[in-house]
Amino acid sequence: MRTRNALALLLVLLAAAGCAFDVYHLSSKPTQFTQQIEAPRSFIIKDDVLIKQAPCGYKRTLREGTRWDLCGTIPEGEVYKSRDQALTVECSNVHEAYLVVSNGFLTGFYLPVEKAFVSIAEKMELPVK
Amino acid sequence: MRRVITFRLLVLAAVFLTSCASGPKFSELQPDMAAHSPELGRIFFYRTSTLGAMLRPDVLLNGEKVGEAVAQGFFYVDRPAGEYTAVTSTEVTRKVSFTLEKGQTRFIRFKVSMGFFAGHVYGELVDEADAKEEIKDCKYIGDKYKKE
Repeated sequence: MRTRNALALLLVLLAAAGCAFDVYHLSSKPTQFTQQIEAPRSFIIKDDVLIKQAPCGYKRTLREGTRWDLCGTIPEGEVYKSRDQALTVECSNVHEAYLVVSNGFLTGFYLPVEKAFVSIAEKMELPVK
Repeated sequence: MRRVITFRLLVLAAVFLTSCASGPKFSELQPDMAAHSPELGRIFFYRTSTLGAMLRPDVLLNGEKVGEAVAQGFFYVDRPAGEYTAVTSTEVTRKVSFTLEKGQTRFIRFKVSMGFFAGHVYGELVDEADAKEEIKDCKYIGDKYKKE
């Protein structure tokens, strides 16, 4: 009986060990980034913005008073990055992210290392000044 | 019986203690926050928690071993501007990707999450203000891999 239990436990452990932990992959698509050199533009976040639809259920907050500078464009919108806040998106891995804004609405994130776009389910208006 | 238990507890305590970082504290060492060359940026790596202290995975920065993610330890490296991926592996591999500009300082904090056989150590990109507060009590462990 003991042997059977030990074997069953061993089988469960082997099966579990065989499962991949890295199952939460970020859903992104490659995109073409064009760097913005002229006509600098920026905005400042007026109130804290809670992004509930960030990938894999991780929420993100854009902090009040953080300044976001236009650094380039992708087909999905204008790309803004900040020196005031380190923004990331994460699933199993963590990726630095910039904001992608189109017509005043946040539409997703640009991942500068992966050179990819991550959309959010519903675009959000940003309270800016 | 009591002796055996005491002995085992002592061994466990010794293993735990030797797993944590030893060295001068960040607040005592007061390292420069910026790289010494204007062409470079500086990346600080630190781990505040003692959770899973016996796990001290290598830290690979773009494939090169630059240190270990040791509980309550910190180290830093200077690198040219560019794109970087820091990788730690226990029973799984975790990555954090980020950019570095000339003269910029970035902070990567290692945290531990639950795993199946062992905890998972993963890096997070942290704001400078938060990192400076958290790193104060961490101890310097960078000498071993420092290139002069």
